[in-house]
Amino acid sequence: MELRYYDTFYLLHPDLNDEERQAISEKLQNIVVESGGQVVKIDPWPLKKLAYKVQKQSHGYYVTMEYGAPSDALEEITRNLRLDENVMKFLTTKLSDAFDPALIAESREASSPEETAGEAAAPAESGEGE
Amino acid sequence: MQQPRIARHRRRRIYVHRKVCRFCADKTMAMDYKDARTLRHFTTERGKILPRRITGTCAKHQRKLTSVIKKARIMALLPFTSGHAQE
Ligand SMILES: [Zn+2]
Repeated sequence: MELRYYDTFYLLHPDLNDEERQAISEKLQNIVVESGGQVVKIDPWPLKKLAYKVQKQSHGYYVTMEYGAPSDALEEITRNLRLDENVMKFLTTKLSDAFDPALIAESREASSPEETAGEAAAPAESGEGE
Repeated sequence: MQQPRIARHRRRRIYVHRKVCRFCADKTMAMDYKDARTLRHFTTERGKILPRRITGTCAKHQRKLTSVIKKARIMALLPFTSGHAQE
């Protein structure tokens, strides 16, 4: 089973409380884990003002989830996000075709992304022909 | 008194013409669609993407920047135009 490295960033309705937001996060994490994948980062932002109104709301909660998962888990995550009416927007980016947790941990520790770590992280950028 | 040293941070944005691409000059400057604060340097106040002759961004990084700004817009981190912007 081949894992790819994804970043899913989603926007939640501003009326949700801590528990409700946590429940959505856990549901998504469970999909990853049950598919044999691994979550490496969860980053919930505090309530933020939006650049334009979304579903008549001017604020919302953004959450980042970075994870390794097979592509069918991504479909399941996408389906969940689409069906959940509390999810106002979402965007998944493939960070890399290969998911290597050791490499991710390594490049995180060496927080100067100049030399080796930078090189390792370079293919993570969504690809460009040059 | 001319050109006071301390920059007055008004609402108005001043576009400094740069000779070098900021992303080439500073490799650590990641291009992240979630970093709206940095991306705003490359848009006008109305939210339009600044041409690279103004910002000095190289062609390669400008292409990348354009796609990153578009992602930020899709996620409501940056405005499409000022017309849609909320007060
Ligand atoms: Zn450049």
